[in-house]
Amino acid sequence: MNDQLRWRYWPIRLKLLFLTMLVSTLGIALVCVSLIVLENRTYRNQMESELHVIASILAEQSAAALLFEDREQLRSISSSLRQIETITQACVFDAAGMLLTSLNEPDKVTCPDLSTAPVMGFEANAYKLMVPVTLDQEVLGYIYLNSHLKVLRAHIQSFVMAAVGIGLLIQLLLLFVAYKLQRIVSHPILALSDTAEQIAIEHDYSIRAPVSGHDELGRLSATFNDMISTIQLQNRRILESRDSLERKVEERTAQLSLANRELEAFSYSVSHDLRQPLRAIEGFSQALEEDCEENLNDLGKDYLRRVRAASVRMSNLIDGLLVLSRVSRQTVEAEPVDLTSLLQEICDELCSIGDRPPTEIHIQPDMAVTGDSRMLRVAFQNLLENAWKYSSKKDRRRIEVTSTSDSAGAVVKVQDNGAGFDMKYVEKLFVAFNRLHTPSEFGGTGIGLATVYRVIRRHHGEVWAESELGKGATFYVKLPHSAEQR
Amino acid sequence: MEGYSILVVEDNPDDQVLTVRALKNASKNCQIVVLEDGQAAIDYLFGNGADEALNKLGVVLLDLKLPRVNGLEVLNKIRSSPRTNWLPVIMVTSSDEPGELLEAYRLGANSYINKPINLREFTDQMNVLARYWLQVNKVPRAGSVRKV
Repeated sequence: MNDQLRWRYWPIRLKLLFLTMLVSTLGIALVCVSLIVLENRTYRNQMESELHVIASILAEQSAAALLFEDREQLRSISSSLRQIETITQACVFDAAGMLLTSLNEPDKVTCPDLSTAPVMGFEANAYKLMVPVTLDQEVLGYIYLNSHLKVLRAHIQSFVMAAVGIGLLIQLLLLFVAYKLQRIVSHPILALSDTAEQIAIEHDYSIRAPVSGHDELGRLSATFNDMISTIQLQNRRILESRDSLERKVEERTAQLSLANRELEAFSYSVSHDLRQPLRAIEGFSQALEEDCEENLNDLGKDYLRRVRAASVRMSNLIDGLLVLSRVSRQTVEAEPVDLTSLLQEICDELCSIGDRPPTEIHIQPDMAVTGDSRMLRVAFQNLLENAWKYSSKKDRRRIEVTSTSDSAGAVVKVQDNGAGFDMKYVEKLFVAFNRLHTPSEFGGTGIGLATVYRVIRRHHGEVWAESELGKGATFYVKLPHSAEQR
Repeated sequence: MEGYSILVVEDNPDDQVLTVRALKNASKNCQIVVLEDGQAAIDYLFGNGADEALNKLGVVLLDLKLPRVNGLEVLNKIRSSPRTNWLPVIMVTSSDEPGELLEAYRLGANSYINKPINLREFTDQMNVLARYWLQVNKVPRAGSVRKV
């Protein structure tokens, strides 16, 4: 069935019109039916009394004839009934119930048989009547009359026609009136609905619905307008706070980019300007050693060596700080990284420059993570260098890198069997310039693990370590598969 | 070939001395011209007597960070003129900013080296550099280019 034809899809004007017409039709139909029933009864009563009058007159006229059993007279009396069109049969009986004469002689059978006490009154197509013929309270006989109901039918039929016709006319008039009147109710509803629709389409919350009257519809429109005003106000506040937020973000961004530019200028200075005097110190002490060696005694040579060693340490510090500053400001790209190859390359490099490579290096094959390959290289280079360095005093050095992966990300484990550290200092491990070993035990700048921490944090990952003094250290790096990068 | 000169543009006096020492170690006979800033380099290459200088020049060692006119501007100027665009230019710097490295090559540097802290390493570098650019490498002479 077409949806449009369903009651719930009908427009409200049609519903109102339909309901009004339904009620008025019912009313008019009820009135018509009552009138018809009433008319039917009135007409029947009238017919009944007319026939009674005729029967009484007939009985009076036939009394003498019955007394003398004058059949000729009786026939002539009954024949006079032919004048009356509605009467189809008239029969005259004597006191004993014997038929003496009838109006339609050949149709004797239509006369009732008095011995069986026939039913009188209205039947389907006829009205039957029996009156006794009396003289001085002595019953002389009976007269029976049978009248057809054609006239009654015709009358009722024309009455029904008239009633229906008038009913229809009234309906038409009511339809016109109802059509005019439904507007009183439907107009405010339609206006409200149009307004709501317009607001929804145009998002213009300055539009208001017309308020008509103080009834429920008027209150509905007023409440609707109040709601729209509230939304308009809230919208304005949201926009205002968004604008102010945007301004704040712009200001902060400007401040941040200024700070970033300053930081870049600073790192540039560190890389260029700090290195230059250092190179002079290192260069001239070396030149001094080479060109004027014969003029220096052993003490002088020792001092010179110390100057050079210090400048090398400072150079390493500057390099470390530069890397730390670079991983802090570089944008982090998210790309698939073949960690196994990356670690293998780092190990190959370390093997080529280191004095004694570890006894055993195990790197789990096919390790893959998501992140910035340049930055991850810096982080894992530091971790491997540490494993390299702190295991250097062991006879059998073992370095192992494995990883486990789940839906959230991968945890990479870098394990060595070197010097390890005391777990009570674990808090200081990833803080820049904090060292857990003296320079005479193991050299270093104290920047490496701070750099690792920075790289992994910028990947939204985590890094932590476990160790036992003398038994080695294990570093864990947890990297999410696809985190929103900072 | 030993007669070709090296132009060193370096603002820091310490680095000037160390560079000259390293180059002298590498090649005893080479002539070294030391200039202190970018403007001086431009005057030397484009000013009066530039033709004679260009005829003898084998390679330019250009510091990246120079007062007034910086190394990249000097490089750009050298590459923009048909009189000098053939000149081998080696950027020498103590910074290792990737952006500057890229920019130097984009502007047409022939080589880019970081000055190492260690003097022996630096001397080795200068040795390799002088041998390659003054003895192995061939350049079109300034005169032949000028006729074009």
